[in-house]
Amino acid sequence: MEKIIKLELPNILGSEKVAIEKAVSIAKKMGFRQDRIDDLKTAMAEACINAIEHGNKFDENTKVGITVAADDTKLEVVVHDTGTGIDPEKIPKKRVGENGFPKRRGYGVFLISNLVNEFSYEAQPGEGNKVKMMMHLNK
Amino acid sequence: MSKDIQVLTSQRGDIAVISIKGDVTATTGEVIGNAYHDAMVSSAPKILLQFDKDCYINSGGLASLIDIASEGRKKAQKIHAYGLSDHFQKIFRMVGLTRCIPIFTTEEAAIADF
Repeated sequence: MEKIIKLELPNILGSEKVAIEKAVSIAKKMGFRQDRIDDLKTAMAEACINAIEHGNKFDENTKVGITVAADDTKLEVVVHDTGTGIDPEKIPKKRVGENGFPKRRGYGVFLISNLVNEFSYEAQPGEGNKVKMMMHLNK
Repeated sequence: MSKDIQVLTSQRGDIAVISIKGDVTATTGEVIGNAYHDAMVSSAPKILLQFDKDCYINSGGLASLIDIASEGRKKAQKIHAYGLSDHFQKIFRMVGLTRCIPIFTTEEAAIADF
């Protein structure tokens, strides 16, 4: 897969918009439908917010790395932080509280995994966390 | 992130309307929370959330809306929403927010169902 964009974003909420705009531009050129582009925007935003908040813990001296790669049939986005890693088992699976209401937080990974075709998470000691999201043009 | 949001409140009979335009995030959610805690809104039996179709909502913004829904339930308020794009209607359904804030495609439908 051809690498198209590699960015380093400041670890500040809102900085993800630059990367999202670039990925959306590529997705549009590839022919993704608008509803899939909206899914991509939300998935990328949630991955970046998680990286800034949970991975890099709002440390403004750190960066969030974004790689966007594409070929004729698929678009891949990797979001990379420098954090110590999150235990996937600790990500809440239950989204309804005791009172029957949706829980306040913990939707990032849930949304990402439901909005893209493929999703994986990798944590390497000393190398941070990588969230990989893949969207297929015809799925 | 700057508070890229415009929130206005108004009243139509016994319905308090909160009009939201811009980014609904953890940061800007405070602005919506403040509008909800406005005396007129917090005492109204019915609340209508009017979203602009270009509103962007992330998980932090969803948390702010869940807070309002939770507080509204304690006060036996009915909260309806309309104006969301198809994408954010889908997100509301995915996270279960429509169980506490039903969404409608038009203002008329949202008001008629109170």
